[in-house]
Amino acid sequence: MTQTVDRRELEELVYETCARLDEKDLQGFLGLCDPAFAYKVSAYAPEVRREMTWLDRDRAEIEEFFGMLPKHNTDRNPLSRHAQVTRVRMDAARQRAEVTSTVQIFRTQLDGGATELFAVGRYLDTISLQAGTPRLLARHVKLDTRDLGWGTHLPL
Amino acid sequence: MSRNSVQWRQRPQLPSTHYADPSIYSDPDLFEQEREKIFKKVWWLAVHESELPTPGDFRTYRHPGDAQLVIVRGEDMKIRTFLNICPHRGNLLVYTPSGNSKNLVCIFHQWAFNGKGDCVDIPREKAGYQQRVCRNDVALKEVRTEIGYGGFVWVNLDDNAPGLAGEIGGALDSMLPELEAEPMETLWYYQARLKTNFKLIHDTNSEFYHDYLHIYNRITGMLKPDSGYFQRKYTAFPGGHASVGSMNVSYESYKSSGRGQLGWPKLAPNGWKLVDLFPCITFNLRTSVLRIDSYIPLAPDDVIYEFRLLGLKSDTPEIRRQREKDSAVIWGPFGRNLHEDLLASSGQGMAMAKGSETMYVLQAREEDLTIHDEVGMRHYLVEWSRRMGRSSADPYASERVAARAA
Repeated sequence: MTQTVDRRELEELVYETCARLDEKDLQGFLGLCDPAFAYKVSAYAPEVRREMTWLDRDRAEIEEFFGMLPKHNTDRNPLSRHAQVTRVRMDAARQRAEVTSTVQIFRTQLDGGATELFAVGRYLDTISLQAGTPRLLARHVKLDTRDLGWGTHLPL
Repeated sequence: MSRNSVQWRQRPQLPSTHYADPSIYSDPDLFEQEREKIFKKVWWLAVHESELPTPGDFRTYRHPGDAQLVIVRGEDMKIRTFLNICPHRGNLLVYTPSGNSKNLVCIFHQWAFNGKGDCVDIPREKAGYQQRVCRNDVALKEVRTEIGYGGFVWVNLDDNAPGLAGEIGGALDSMLPELEAEPMETLWYYQARLKTNFKLIHDTNSEFYHDYLHIYNRITGMLKPDSGYFQRKYTAFPGGHASVGSMNVSYESYKSSGRGQLGWPKLAPNGWKLVDLFPCITFNLRTSVLRIDSYIPLAPDDVIYEFRLLGLKSDTPEIRRQREKDSAVIWGPFGRNLHEDLLASSGQGMAMAKGSETMYVLQAREEDLTIHDEVGMRHYLVEWSRRMGRSSADPYASERVAARAA
């Protein structure tokens, strides 16, 4: 594969993860992830000058987590994720790529259809390049937004 | 059978302590009275001392009594609180929520103040003021500050209010061994702006009948006969405070709990204690983490919810990570329970907004002060009524009497 093709495939993977999550297709999202997938959401709190880790789960934990979601009361208003890949760093020796994207997440009210900005931040993705198929190995959602209102049960 | 308008607004045939007039959650005039009679009179938990560990550290705090404050650790290690305003031209003194500075220097004209609130520099002082104004004539306005109950920094705008211990009374006694077992440290601090009344969110910590909202609490407690869930008892304290006894939470019953075996010094394994303080502070010690809820009410339907998570100062990075993981299962912006709590209290805020045709709100469950008894909310509103000089069940009674007399 050429470098250009590599980057496009990686970008498509990032955008496809957004599409699967926008559709609340959590199994489809997991289908894009490596068996060793890890997921984390954090934000820096300037008030206490400390990084807060709001979610930190391995693949097994996140699968169980998804399995329990239908049993919870939850916000039904859909989220839509708009990502833009800004940097790709290949590590051929380890067959990995580090991909950074900016992301804005919007929430659209089911009642009336108004859309509001929910959060902004970055995806810091580690992508496995083994077997010629890019797979998401780790996603760290590093949020700039800390006030998320009543929050959400869904991964961002 | 459904109700017509008259039936819908009918006063319940219950003692007046067992229901509330919905206007206490939406009326702007009552809210302004709450600000004057409650918010400006009580002790508020502003920060934790671990947020200002070294001399020169400062933290800002938006006081519910409509005051901007800055909390400073001085060179003498003492923590003091001041109005965050320069006495020169009324500019905000500190713009960032935290930082460290030998002196607080106003950006506007560079007037500088030390950690005791003394003015230590006025640029071109004598050239402009000659002998009429000098640095000794001005200083920051100090606000009463006390440290207590696990190193929290409490502030009170009222110079004549009773001391902190007098206001808290014995409400935190049941949790003091755990709060004072070891020095603590703030791990998380974040805010959530919500369109609801502050009392409605505080209610979600004051009654556990709403565990029907949380499958997590049903699976790990309510449905476990040996958990002691239905034996948890409320204790009411003077001043509108209440505590809830501990239980044995069955975390392993919920898939995806992700919890380790971590506990908290002096708390029973899998234990859970909770204390609600009037008017809206909650100490919630759940097995391995201490959560502090505090609120900054801005309007009857607008509140900043402050969420703090604390661990121990002695924690290793691995233990700290586990505390955060434990917390994140149910708390935080993605937590199973907190999201549900905030959906419900925000839903109440929407449904009971001013102008809506709202019924009296029931707080009438009596179950021998056990976990589904609503004594916590009733006890709270007794204190609210005392401080407001109005019944929460009939807040406009005095105006009606005056109108009839006129």
